[in-house]
Amino acid sequence: MTRAQRSLTLWLAVALILVAFPIAAPILPLQSTVAIDIPGRFDGPSAEHWLGQDELGRDVLSRIIWGARASLIVAFGSAFFAAVIGTILGLVGGYFRGLAEILAVRSTEIIICLPPLLLALLVITILGAGIDTLIMALTILFVPKYTRVVYAATLQTGALDFVTAQESMGTHPMRILARTVLPNIFPPLLVQFSLTVASGILLESGLSFLGLGVVPPAPSWGLMIRAARAALDVQPLLLLWPSLALAGTVLLLNVICDRLQEVITPRTAERGGAAWLRRQLGLTKPEPVADDTPLLAIRDLSVAVSTERGTIGLTDTVGFTLKPGETMALVGESGSGKTLTGLATTGLLPNALKITNGSALFRDCSGTVLDLAKLTEDQFRPLRGNDISMVFQDASASLNPVHRIGDQLAEVIAEHRKLPRAEIDTLVVDLLRRVGIPDPEQRRRAYPFELSGGQRQRAMIAMAIANSPRLLIADEPTTALDPTIQAQILRLLDGLKDENRDMGMIFVTHNLAVVKEIADTVSVMYAGEVVEQGSVAEIFERPRHPYTAALLASVPESESTRLESIPGTVPRAGEMPEGCRFAPRCKHAADICASVDGLQTLADGRRTACIRWETVT
Amino acid sequence: MLRYIAFRVLIALVLVWLVSTLVFLVLHLVPGDPAELLLASGNTAPDPEAVAALREQMGLNRPIYEQYLTFLWDLLHLDFGTSLRDGASIGPELALRLPRTLELIVAASIIAALIGVPLGTLAAMRAGGIADKITSASASLALSTPVFVVGTAAILVFAQWLGWVSAGGYVPFAEDPVRHIKLLLMPACTIALGLSAVLMRMTRASVLEVLERDYVRTARAKGVSRRRIIWRHVVRTALVPVVTILGLEMGTLIGSTVLIEYVFNWPGISGYLVRAVEARDYPEVVGIVLIISFIFVFLNLLVDITYALLDPRVKLAK
Repeated sequence: MTRAQRSLTLWLAVALILVAFPIAAPILPLQSTVAIDIPGRFDGPSAEHWLGQDELGRDVLSRIIWGARASLIVAFGSAFFAAVIGTILGLVGGYFRGLAEILAVRSTEIIICLPPLLLALLVITILGAGIDTLIMALTILFVPKYTRVVYAATLQTGALDFVTAQESMGTHPMRILARTVLPNIFPPLLVQFSLTVASGILLESGLSFLGLGVVPPAPSWGLMIRAARAALDVQPLLLLWPSLALAGTVLLLNVICDRLQEVITPRTAERGGAAWLRRQLGLTKPEPVADDTPLLAIRDLSVAVSTERGTIGLTDTVGFTLKPGETMALVGESGSGKTLTGLATTGLLPNALKITNGSALFRDCSGTVLDLAKLTEDQFRPLRGNDISMVFQDASASLNPVHRIGDQLAEVIAEHRKLPRAEIDTLVVDLLRRVGIPDPEQRRRAYPFELSGGQRQRAMIAMAIANSPRLLIADEPTTALDPTIQAQILRLLDGLKDENRDMGMIFVTHNLAVVKEIADTVSVMYAGEVVEQGSVAEIFERPRHPYTAALLASVPESESTRLESIPGTVPRAGEMPEGCRFAPRCKHAADICASVDGLQTLADGRRTACIRWETVT
Repeated sequence: MLRYIAFRVLIALVLVWLVSTLVFLVLHLVPGDPAELLLASGNTAPDPEAVAALREQMGLNRPIYEQYLTFLWDLLHLDFGTSLRDGASIGPELALRLPRTLELIVAASIIAALIGVPLGTLAAMRAGGIADKITSASASLALSTPVFVVGTAAILVFAQWLGWVSAGGYVPFAEDPVRHIKLLLMPACTIALGLSAVLMRMTRASVLEVLERDYVRTARAKGVSRRRIIWRHVVRTALVPVVTILGLEMGTLIGSTVLIEYVFNWPGISGYLVRAVEARDYPEVVGIVLIISFIFVFLNLLVDITYALLDPRVKLAK
């Protein structure tokens, strides 16, 4: 039993015990609810009357318990009738669609168009007050809610394969509905039922409070509160008891409903909010590191995800260096850890992911070397968008849909440079022109959805280069685009490198064809590790790792005569093989492969993780 | 934008017509004769002559299409007929009471938004933390306590024990502005309590969702300050669904003010409705139900337009 299930059982048990009292009311040794005792009116709690006596000297405790009966009869009664009617309407509408849908579902939605209490009052005007009317009025109110829920759930289950299979076997629709669809829509129905009961109790007490619900002298919580209101100055306790009973019951029902939802759709554990949202205490200035790296040196960088079962390593001892003006391609299949490495370098890892080891040394524009792996969010902020910027894969999701392109671009400038608004506007237009957006004076007023995919990525790039960064990390910037647009964006990035010759670029991609066009060096990643490094020319000419060779052979544009695919899949995080991680998929694998791992530097300065590179490449 | 608004207004007008027709049909198609029901008291059968006279007075003897057209024609002129009880014209009474109810709802909504949105944002930013647990538990409690209990308890504490305000009532703003606002505050805050809980939950869910979006990561990648990310990128976008909920809730509130106006003796439209229902005064009930439904439709129209202002993508969709 999960925690949510235990919690639900506990609360249900509490509810059952409480419900037992009003159900057993006729056999409990309770005092009469109507016996009037004028001398004892407004008396407080006593041995004889545990909760005191009301304005006519009647026993409050027995009126509370008997009042619960009225509430429960109305609430459960209307919830039940509405559930039956609503379920039938929803099933019919959702299963048969067409005219049945209009008649059964859409027509009930008119009821939702009216405020609920108002509708109840309209029914009461026509039929007069009383418990029967209450049940009827609330049933009418609740039917559309059930219809909606059941209708939506039926649509979902109706589309499932096993229902389609039964249909094709010629099973009678009624049989399918009763046997297959109904059990599947039971959970949302149960949630709706507990919500309706709570809402029914509230409405019943509200209407009784107005004197339009339960008719006196029958006891009801709403009526008791109504009477207590007239005697507030004499005996405030008379207000307390029915209010407690009412609010407590509704709260209990709401808690049960919440737990029920948790059991049905388990939520992922929340972690106390995103870490970057919390202000850090302590050092405001990052500690400089004594190192002579010209731009970026990633050493032994490992990223891990923390789960309920402990931490699982995602990338392991990744390392590479980048010189100013150099472009390095970070290549690998999806899930190889290339994007994670890029995000780790900018401190933008998702919440559950942490850098567990290693360093990322970076020389900023003032010449100070910092370890990016150790910076806090507040220390990182002045660097981001200024010294280091990032271009993301999906520009349409990465741009804020409700702000104009020009404003989003102006934001990154204004954040790092104190300039007057007019000057920023000129810069914005300039930047948009530089990245090739036509008519920048007008287009800067456009919203992201008004731009084409290629233009959105251009705008994204404009934001990244707005403050002439020293390091640009482009995370699959062309993957979501058409091939012709891809080529344009690559040309744009190439042109930007010419304009800013000191800018180093990490180009993350799984597409080897674009690597040749843009990169100087390549780091190939596999299963969270770097398996080979070298210059573009060398890697394409003579790969020194079977994985690189296989990647090259799987690219249509490569010179290989036959297109090959790599058998098998990337091993899952936490289930990495010993030694060489590629060995299980490698056609050259030998026994020795299981015992070694780590990069070795070859005589020509290249690096490979393959122990058998001399024989196999 | 103008075309979008024109389209929404057109839809709203059609809805108003549909609601009016529905109310007309409900009244004329339910079993039982309104005139008879009105005159019946307890189990004694009403005097047939009196019923006939009343039917004549209510125009129930004419063909139904003629009644329907007269009904629409009168509505078009904002003529809601006369009360059966005292023969007074209903229109002016509505015009007098409606602004008071609206004032109450608007004040409650403003208070609720001022409490619910910041608290919801805070809860989302500290999801799972202590602040989140406290606000979420308070919201559950606020949602479980009916308004009339809160209102009555507020009277007990603030009026009876502390003596800060009087137990209820109404003074026109022009007569005594300070007293007017003092009297407005307690009922408005009572409504706002439950409403702010709804808004808080909605804001929390919405902010949590937006925090996961890619463009928030982009804003961080740009080095935008934390406060600016929260307000400009997260809350601004997260508010779009919250505004929708607020609009819908305000519609529902017009119904719930029935209880609040009763508790605080606020002479709005709902108190009028309760009296009309008690007396089974059909023309009055119809007039009030119609006017509230019209406001409901109008509120939805406002929500749609605000939605378009908040999210530029909406205009394109229509």
